[in-house]
Amino acid sequence: MSAEVERGKKGSRWKPSLDTWAVLVAFLLALLVRTGVFKHIPW
Amino acid sequence: MADVITVPQVQPVQPALRFLRVIPGVLLLAGVGYAGKLLEQNVGAYAKARHWTFPNIEYVLWAIVLGLLISNTVGVPEIFRTGVATYEFWLKAGIVLLGARFLLGDILKLGGVSLVLVAIEIAGSLAFMTFLGRLFKLKPKLTTLLAVGSAVCGVSAIIATKGAIEADDEDSSFSIAAILALGALALFTFPVIGHFLHLSDRAYGLWAGLGVDNTAEATAAGALYSDAAGKLAVLVKSTRNAMIGFVVLAYAIYWASKGQAQAVGNKAAFLWQKFPKFVLGFLLISVLATYHFFNKDQVGALANLSRWAFLLTFAGVGLRTNFSDMRKQGLRPFAVGAIGEVVIAGFTLALVYGAGKIFGW
Repeated sequence: MSAEVERGKKGSRWKPSLDTWAVLVAFLLALLVRTGVFKHIPW
Repeated sequence: MADVITVPQVQPVQPALRFLRVIPGVLLLAGVGYAGKLLEQNVGAYAKARHWTFPNIEYVLWAIVLGLLISNTVGVPEIFRTGVATYEFWLKAGIVLLGARFLLGDILKLGGVSLVLVAIEIAGSLAFMTFLGRLFKLKPKLTTLLAVGSAVCGVSAIIATKGAIEADDEDSSFSIAAILALGALALFTFPVIGHFLHLSDRAYGLWAGLGVDNTAEATAAGALYSDAAGKLAVLVKSTRNAMIGFVVLAYAIYWASKGQAQAVGNKAAFLWQKFPKFVLGFLLISVLATYHFFNKDQVGALANLSRWAFLLTFAGVGLRTNFSDMRKQGLRPFAVGAIGEVVIAGFTLALVYGAGKIFGW
């Protein structure tokens, strides 16, 4: 097996936890608000 | 001719398929949550127009009650379950976004006070639950799970500890059921007691954050009282959550020393693995807000996004609570949990009163 495939296999093992996904999505939303993509969020 | 053996192929679930599976349940969360919001707006207006005396019931309670009604009458069909389980994801995303409404100075000030109270609460709760478990002759690992669930952060703490101390599935199911049932009770009793005692938003928020076990229920119990109490409950609860790694590590070392769990190798890696990352996200957003990375309107937009995320969470709290499932888990762990929770609620209320006297709240 080539080193590249080996590396690819090792790399694919990292799975973000639910916490990490929540943080990533929250930051993405914050970025969209900051850049003006979402200008007004009603409540 | 060679025998042909057919081995069933287990196909890994593709990310796109996993995403599709989540959609029905998320739509149900959104529908139930939004119905709760509409009920808040319309029931109050309807009662007022007819001059009825009717309490102002917040969307939080409507969403939970609607969820409970569905879950305990028609039940949640299988197709919705994967999506309904995402309520924890929305809770954590909501907490991170809520960080925009906190200035770092407030977090350090309130976090410092709550850290001291959290340390006392955790030590007291662990000691008391361990004593109760021994008194009721529960299995030692079941006692550990109930103690961690009551002292730190409910279901997440139980799941983290289960793996670390190699507890049985049955013990963790018992503990989770007891903690969830008691969390559901706390949702309805904490606000009533808080109003009865005329607690300030600050005192109540501290109490809900310290006394209610599961993060979703603590957030809801705080929001049911007031917006300010809800914010503080989330901050205190997040401080409790941040302690999870240390408590689980201590128990893992204890059970390993008894030869009943694997020894912990790299302790720093263990702590990082167990640390709730959403607490870091919450702090980082707060730092950005403090240094004006977001303007006032943007902070308002982030706060509203956080409210929408919590709306899905509160619907999920109702939808995943099934009282008949909980009854099946047996009475003794529930009794231990219930006695423990009542005592911890009283103990944390006394702590809050004491802190109020010291800091002049």
